[in-house]
Amino acid sequence: MSAAAPPERYRAISPAEFFYKYREIAGFSNPVRALYQAVRELVENALDATDSHGILPNIKIIIEKADENREFYRVTVEDNGIGLPPHVVPEAFGRVLFSSKYILRQTRGMFGLGAKVAILYGQMTTGRPVEVITSQPNLKRIYYFKLRIDINKNEPIIIERGSWRKNRDWHGTIVSMTLEGDWSRAKQRIKDYILRTAVVTPYANIVFITPDGEIYYYERVIDKLPRPPREVKPHPYGVDLELMKRIRDNGSFSTVKEMLMKSFQGIGNVTASSLLEIAGISPDLNPKSLSDKQLLELVNVMKNYKRFRSPTSEALSPLGEEVIKAGLKRIYEPEFVEAVTRKPSAYQGHPFIVEVGIAYGGKVPLSNDKYPTLLRYANKIPLLYDEGSDVTTDVVKSISWEQYLVKLPAPIIVLVHICSTKVPFKGVGKESIADVKEIRSEVKLAIQEVARKLRAYLSKKLKEEEKKKRVVSLAKYVPEVVRALTIILGDGRGVKAKLLEEKLVEIVSLRTGIPKDEVYKVVKSVEIGV
Amino acid sequence: MAISSVDKYARQKSIEILRKKFASIAKRILEGKRPVLIMPKRVLSNTIYDMKKKLLLLGPEMKRRSLLDVNEARKFMQTLLMASIIYEALVNDEYPTIRDLYYRGKHTISYRDILGRLHHENTWDEQRESDAVIRDIEVFLGVLREEMLILSKEKGKVVGNLVIRSGDDVIDLSKMGHGAYAIEPTPDLIEFKDIDAEFVLVVEKDAVFQQLHRYGFWKKYKAILITSAGQPDRATRRFVRRLSEELKLPIYILTDADPYGWYIYSVFKIGSITLSYESERLATPNAKFIGVSMTDIFGEEEAAKNIKKLTSIFGKDLKNVLSKPRKKPYLSEKERKNYIIKAKKKDVERAVELVGYDVADKLISNPEIKKYIRQRKMGVSGYPWFRTPEWIKEISIFFSKLAKLEIEAMASKGLKFLADTYIPTKIETGDWID
Ligand SMILES: Nc1ncnc2c1ncn2[C@@H]1O[C@H](COP(=O)(O)OP(=O)(O)O)[C@@H](O)[C@H]1O
Ligand SMILES: [Mg+2]
Repeated sequence: MSAAAPPERYRAISPAEFFYKYREIAGFSNPVRALYQAVRELVENALDATDSHGILPNIKIIIEKADENREFYRVTVEDNGIGLPPHVVPEAFGRVLFSSKYILRQTRGMFGLGAKVAILYGQMTTGRPVEVITSQPNLKRIYYFKLRIDINKNEPIIIERGSWRKNRDWHGTIVSMTLEGDWSRAKQRIKDYILRTAVVTPYANIVFITPDGEIYYYERVIDKLPRPPREVKPHPYGVDLELMKRIRDNGSFSTVKEMLMKSFQGIGNVTASSLLEIAGISPDLNPKSLSDKQLLELVNVMKNYKRFRSPTSEALSPLGEEVIKAGLKRIYEPEFVEAVTRKPSAYQGHPFIVEVGIAYGGKVPLSNDKYPTLLRYANKIPLLYDEGSDVTTDVVKSISWEQYLVKLPAPIIVLVHICSTKVPFKGVGKESIADVKEIRSEVKLAIQEVARKLRAYLSKKLKEEEKKKRVVSLAKYVPEVVRALTIILGDGRGVKAKLLEEKLVEIVSLRTGIPKDEVYKVVKSVEIGV
Repeated sequence: MAISSVDKYARQKSIEILRKKFASIAKRILEGKRPVLIMPKRVLSNTIYDMKKKLLLLGPEMKRRSLLDVNEARKFMQTLLMASIIYEALVNDEYPTIRDLYYRGKHTISYRDILGRLHHENTWDEQRESDAVIRDIEVFLGVLREEMLILSKEKGKVVGNLVIRSGDDVIDLSKMGHGAYAIEPTPDLIEFKDIDAEFVLVVEKDAVFQQLHRYGFWKKYKAILITSAGQPDRATRRFVRRLSEELKLPIYILTDADPYGWYIYSVFKIGSITLSYESERLATPNAKFIGVSMTDIFGEEEAAKNIKKLTSIFGKDLKNVLSKPRKKPYLSEKERKNYIIKAKKKDVERAVELVGYDVADKLISNPEIKKYIRQRKMGVSGYPWFRTPEWIKEISIFFSKLAKLEIEAMASKGLKFLADTYIPTKIETGDWID
């Protein structure tokens, strides 16, 4: 599961030491990146602890200067999530590669790394420990820890601990750590990151207080949470020998057939029998007696079997059309917003869902003149960098937007969310998504689907505007015409200016189909100068 | 200021027509119908050369100018605005010039668009725009600007044995000293009282007019001498027309030997494209082009050569315009060298517009000019009133020689030559184009 170093090669050093040495792998290469990355890790943990568990998030992020002379910053993130059991806290924050997310379910974090590398970096640059305050919904007390990581042993060192009675019904976690950073240069990135997070979490209250004393508050606008992800069994297409061995060694199944049926999704009685028949393995065999060779044969048969159901998407947690629309509305107050959540699809045995939202007009900033402003997300995490090499960028560029009546540059945002139990990131940066055929085609279909709605809206708007423009170009002359006629015909001759004007307004209104009072509004706005 | 009775009558008539026409527009509006102005189209495509009357006339096509048509709304407003200004001037006994009307009507209209943004728009920007509106009003009402007492700058001048009444004064046009009588913008209000003249000579150039005047040409030859000082204005044309129509005097027109001179002649004779609605009143179908003619400069041999080249277009009949024996030039070889001017590309283009590309292409030998014209004017058919044998003969020499000449050149040969030889000979021998 871990994409990090295989333990046997680095037997001599602990994971903590490894990430201490190679912290840039986890994004902590310099004070700018480190501050940004630390905020990200804590915020993503906070969101994982809330929205994945059916809790409407209240999240508070505080960054403050922690030393008069040096560039030390204290980052505090508070959430109202499920909290941690007190006995787990030291390990969760003090042991690298310790996580509750090593299961097949869509979450933001997944390596058991993030918080710890941030803590390591803080420890190394400032020497200050991490502080954690947490309580779970069913607990009566609030627990407090001050921790440090023993790098050589990859173990937590508890510096201080305590607990007190809850006198109100609070649950959640507050993590506070101090690290060397470069606020002035990381500022923009961090603000961007939080803004983009806010776009896809309209169900969250987010408060962000900066070292400059600015307060950003994104207020919850919708009470609906995305459907929480459910843990699922792996799909047989994604199987490999290592996984098979682990199942054989750790499982307690009486027969091979039972092992297959209980370890994988989409394998029932019939499928299990035919798989084993093709592999030439007796269904009643005790799995522990299977040789590696037999396992390999089984893996091959499973990989080539054509009749599995496609992977279940229950492990996925798409945002949903309502949430995307609410999120875009909350930040951009657009005149048009639409979204679509595509049906689940799969690549190489991994389920994925593509979602697209488009916001147009209102406070949406102007795009560049080549393609709309793109907001990319993978598993609800905003992707801020390497836009150029992302497959969605490519798709967005390939669409001829004028066909959808969008004249670039335009106030248009295209939001693309790809969620999957395994997002095919490009490179180690995890900032862009690789060009996978199935994903590309889903992204394109999704964008087209929403863009068609945008076109319908724009074309209607254009027609209305044309009509109104036409009215203005006629109505603006009414006063001059009335004036001229009354000069020539004189008031004595029974021609009243007021009556003429009224009639002309009526004629213009009748002819253009624009209501009389709107025509009047233009006529009344006219001033004839000298 | 005493207003002459003639003026008063004209005013009253115009006021009535204006009121009547616009009352019907107001009536339509009050009935809830779209306001439209129906008037003849004033465009080249609706300008017809009437072969029988030999006049450029306004064709039968009408245009409907509606306030409810986005493309016409502004013009509609301008037309009503202009009508109201003219109306006010009429009832206030004023004599506005077209420039006055431009200034009186020029103001801004401010309005707000659908987004509430403020816009400013001028009723008109340049005088060209308001002038066009005046022409529209003339055709819409069927009333000419002179009848609405609208003035324009005086350009034309006249001297001769002619006594006229203008306003309440009687003026003897033979007693103008070195000066001349400026033809007033409302020549219809002039009354001819006494005349002792045998013909009218109109010269394009003011300078040549003055020379002939000082030389005593009109006294010696019993002529009325007129200059249009370039393109003739309406008053000069109307004045010439009245001399021809009412006093039955022959009219001779003397211009430069170039496309602009020829066009000036045609404006006097048959009318202009922009004012074709006035041709019936302004054109002088009897006017004759007396010179300076290309054959006077180069002789008829040159024309004979050219005509041979044109038989493929016009057949053999073209030969009939050549006289027997062939006319000799008035200028010697040496004089010609001194006086003629090389034609500019613009001149050649204009000449092609008059007589047609086919003629030009057959005659121009200079390869550069030939190519230039091919690129720009291929297919141009020429005006029918210039595609007559006489004019083809005349203009053919311009193409083959690519040369032009100003009347002043004839005067340089000697004012005496111009006054006592050239003009009298041309008239006596009937050597003109009609
Ligand atoms: N705010 C939080 N609320 C609840 N649990 C948390 C919180 N932050 C961290 N955790 C727990 O600590 C574990 C380790 O976190 P982390 O080092 O960021 O790795 P990862 O997020 O990849 O699992 C998480 O798996 C989670 O169980
Ligand atoms: Mg994490």
